Amino acid sequence: MSELLNYLLNPGHLDLIYFSVIGVLFSCFISFLPALHIYNVIGIFLLVVLKFEAAMAPMQLISLCIGMIVGYSILNTVPATYFGPGDESLSYYILPGADWLAKGRGFESVILTGVGALGGIILLAILAPAFVWFLPGLKSITAPHMFWIIGAVIAYCLLSEWPKGLSQSENCWTNFFEGWKYLGVGLITFLLSGILGFIVMAKTMVPIEFAFQSITPVFVGLFAIPWLITNIINIGSIPPQHEPESMELDWDLVRRGTFGGFLGGFFAAFIPIVTAGVGGLMAGHATAQRDGRLFVMSYGTCKTVYYVGSFLLFFIPGLSLTRGGLAWIVTPVVTSLTVKEYFLFVAIMIISAGFSFLLLIPFTRACIKLVKRVPYHWISVLALIIVVPAVYSFTGWGGMAIMTVATGLGLFPVLFQARRMNLMGVLLLPVCLNMAGYGNDILRFLGLL
Amino acid sequence: MKGFTHFISGIAVASFFPQAVHMASQEQSFILCLGGIFGILPDTLDFKFAKYFHKSDFEIRPDPDDLDANVIANDVVKAINKAKETGRGTVQLHTMQLASNRWRSYTLGFDSKSSEVCVEIGPIVDTGQIPFEGTELKDPKRSVARVKVDDCEFYQQFDKKSQIAIMTGPCFEFVKRENGKIEIVFLPWHRTWSHSFTLGLLISFIVGIISFLTVGDGPNPELYTIPRWMLYPLIILFGSMVHIIEDSTGFMGNNLFYPFTKDRTNGLGLMSAAEAIPNFLFVWTSIICILFNLDRFRWAPDEVAAGISSQLAFWGWFYLLPLAVMAYYFFKGKREKAIKAVKTVDFDSQSGAEQETDVSVI
Repeated sequence: MSELLNYLLNPGHLDLIYFSVIGVLFSCFISFLPALHIYNVIGIFLLVVLKFEAAMAPMQLISLCIGMIVGYSILNTVPATYFGPGDESLSYYILPGADWLAKGRGFESVILTGVGALGGIILLAILAPAFVWFLPGLKSITAPHMFWIIGAVIAYCLLSEWPKGLSQSENCWTNFFEGWKYLGVGLITFLLSGILGFIVMAKTMVPIEFAFQSITPVFVGLFAIPWLITNIINIGSIPPQHEPESMELDWDLVRRGTFGGFLGGFFAAFIPIVTAGVGGLMAGHATAQRDGRLFVMSYGTCKTVYYVGSFLLFFIPGLSLTRGGLAWIVTPVVTSLTVKEYFLFVAIMIISAGFSFLLLIPFTRACIKLVKRVPYHWISVLALIIVVPAVYSFTGWGGMAIMTVATGLGLFPVLFQARRMNLMGVLLLPVCLNMAGYGNDILRFLGLL
Repeated sequence: MKGFTHFISGIAVASFFPQAVHMASQEQSFILCLGGIFGILPDTLDFKFAKYFHKSDFEIRPDPDDLDANVIANDVVKAINKAKETGRGTVQLHTMQLASNRWRSYTLGFDSKSSEVCVEIGPIVDTGQIPFEGTELKDPKRSVARVKVDDCEFYQQFDKKSQIAIMTGPCFEFVKRENGKIEIVFLPWHRTWSHSFTLGLLISFIVGIISFLTVGDGPNPELYTIPRWMLYPLIILFGSMVHIIEDSTGFMGNNLFYPFTKDRTNGLGLMSAAEAIPNFLFVWTSIICILFNLDRFRWAPDEVAAGISSQLAFWGWFYLLPLAVMAYYFFKGKREKAIKAVKTVDFDSQSGAEQETDVSVI
């Protein structure tokens, strides 16, 4: 114990704090980039950073990554609230977030998610010693069953979408088709996304040198561009935003929001391919959440635990669990995982979370000022102008073609008010069927083999 | 109960079959998901099918340009009078959409003491049911109505007002009972044939015939007491049964032996279907059972180390401790509610139904 404390409190490790702070600051910038998934951006960033590998110790690089992922998971809510979602995990939050924004309560929404995120980090830190004890057992129990667990997630996501519509016609079939229109769009979206996923995974059109970015045009097309297009078409503007002097929060709300979000985030972090959006939906249903504030706070916890937790799993000694893109990125620089490094990770995680939370309010104020000065739809136009050439520069015409198809699919749920989560079929369906051993049969059926 | 609760309970029930766990881990079978799918099926049938094909005797479509609470109340009374004459009467109340995000709200209640139908026109609300200030009707004669039903005594399980505001309005059935009272049944198409043992048995029987004809023995049949073909109907049966049992713990029961029984029974009333802790109790119990079963039914237990090294620690830390915490917060919440005399979650109202992301809690 004293050895561990010596290690943690060693002034020689202040450099790790420095790198984590740099990571948090960089995450502010990353979270502004529309549509690009965090892992892709970090991948590009690290390609640059790794040139300085000789000058950076592995733990310094890891501290930088911790700062980036913790900062991103806490701060990305701000641009997502004011400018639209960047990825699937955010698109789950964005409808309630947009609702609060429309009522001038964007600031409250951001702070609630920030409190939820901080709660998630604290829970992760508290449970960190217990993870070493029970996660290896959980991994050995679930490892042979992952494919059907993902299958069950898919089944639940599809079955838990309920019909919409007024049902006011005297003809019951008219009402039936009105209600099923939304469900049908959801099912078609999921199926088509799944087929797109099979195609992209089997025969990507992205140049081989940018293979690590092959999923970027898919995500940009499915989640980012449809949102930007919607923003540009919509004539509405953001109403004046109210900044309250205090927040109405009680321990019961914090406890329930953090707990529900932690369950969803941990599930998403532990189960491959499942994202915070899917995990949050399931945890929200499991804990019977109904209150809007509870949902927003719980979402903050969920996405932080998902992003940070999946990275944390990689450092748990004896677990050998690589989840999330960041863990894969740092794999080459991590030679051995010890208890010391694990707890150092936890310590840096807490410091990064504290710093990110302190940044949250000024960052939100800056965003509010920006949306006051610049018309909302021009920000979306600018984002579109940035994102399309960015995709082209990294993935070429092949990537542009994939992005175009994905955009068409991504517009489906936006236009028909179906769940955007169905777009996650792009990963869920191919990965689930591949893990179950049916992938090649599907590829043969699609003529891809 | 929430749809997720039913879904994961169905999977938990399926995991009690060792052969199903072996099929999942050794043959990449999705058979365990079958329990989940049939666990949520009764609500799927109700909210995705039955709801649309239920015909009401009376449909109320209030005119937003000529609002009068008396008109609505009198139409409801017509349905009650039909029940008095013929035994049953149903009424469907529709919402009033004014714009894409604007709805005129109104409430409907039944005063058992005075046998009155009470209707109140409310303010204009948005889809999140947030009212717009100053949009209430100014004329009290048209905004509030209390119409007495002659020679009638109401009986209702839930003595609360229903708010009709957004999306689809609610449906009520009025049933004349043997004691002469008129029972008010909320959503008469819900938890009837779809939530019956009879339907579960029928589906299992059909699936049983198909699986008997198509499913072979599979590897190592000597290890199992139940033939492989029988797994499918049993998982389906138990999956749907666990849904019905869970729903029976709430206030609204099920029609257990449709078509031999005509009406929905009352639930045990132990908990509200939308309450967080009871839902989570079922979910957590299911998760723990699934993990326990996956571990004890792992393939080649002599060669593969158990994930649960100490059963005592597992059940103690992961079940009894959370159970104690849940019990503490559940009873604490009950005490606080009793002190504040706050109404429980208004799960039978339309507002609750439409705000709810998972309608199956109704």
